[in-house]
Amino acid sequence: MFLINCPYCGERDQSEFSAGGEAHIERPKQPTELSDDQWAEFLFMRKNIKGIQYERWNHTHGCRKWFNMVRDTSNDKIHAVYKMGEKPPVK
Amino acid sequence: MLNYNSPILDSKNYSGLKISVIEPIIKINLRGKNRDFITKIGKELSIIPPTEANTSSGNENLNILWLSPDEWLIYSNNKIDFKNNNSLEDKLFNEISKVKLGAVTNVTDHWIMINLKGEKVFELLSGGCPYNFNDFKNLKGSVTQTLVNHIDVIIHNKDINDLNLFVRRSFSEHLWSWINDGSRFI
Repeated sequence: MFLINCPYCGERDQSEFSAGGEAHIERPKQPTELSDDQWAEFLFMRKNIKGIQYERWNHTHGCRKWFNMVRDTSNDKIHAVYKMGEKPPVK
Repeated sequence: MLNYNSPILDSKNYSGLKISVIEPIIKINLRGKNRDFITKIGKELSIIPPTEANTSSGNENLNILWLSPDEWLIYSNNKIDFKNNNSLEDKLFNEISKVKLGAVTNVTDHWIMINLKGEKVFELLSGGCPYNFNDFKNLKGSVTQTLVNHIDVIIHNKDINDLNLFVRRSFSEHLWSWINDGSRFI
């Protein structure tokens, strides 16, 4: 259990949120020109890093807004939280 | 056709706590993003929708609760006058939805409002809620959306130790049972 600072509502318990997987995955501009392998790579393949990961989260039981988070998966330390469309503050 | 009949119409008194279902009252969900939308609502209702998170605004008849940066809930302080029950919705629909400034949805039958009063209100809620009420309880007019006993709720801090809690109709009987059960032990 940990606290997440929703960029809209403020600090809330993790039980109010849902994880939405890896962030910053760009949809290919011309999907019809991709091979099956390339399309499968975009659709299904995700990093599963032990360490700092860029993720999408949704405040499901609050404002229901999506946002991005930089989280260390090894210790659940949250390095940054930022709105959709904003650039990641740490690299 | 909206169902204005609440599944619970009851009130209970416990030591330091009074709970009651106050229905039917009008509830309208507003969605919109631009400045014109906010100005129009302010003009029609004489209340500006709050733009600060977790706050509300209101007058003697209506309250507007902040739900998200582009969503608000309006509810009335008075029970529905059935002779004139659609006037607010019609007015907003004509001024907002029809001119595509935003969306107006009547959610009167979607939410059930439970009023909780007494010095043990926060003791009761803390038993099944992950939200930290420390700042909330001292701020009159504050609003939060959270979970109570795993059920989505909207809580409006109307006054000191006087809350209005909105719960979805289908969960209302279950939450009502939980509140009654919890109230016996605080």
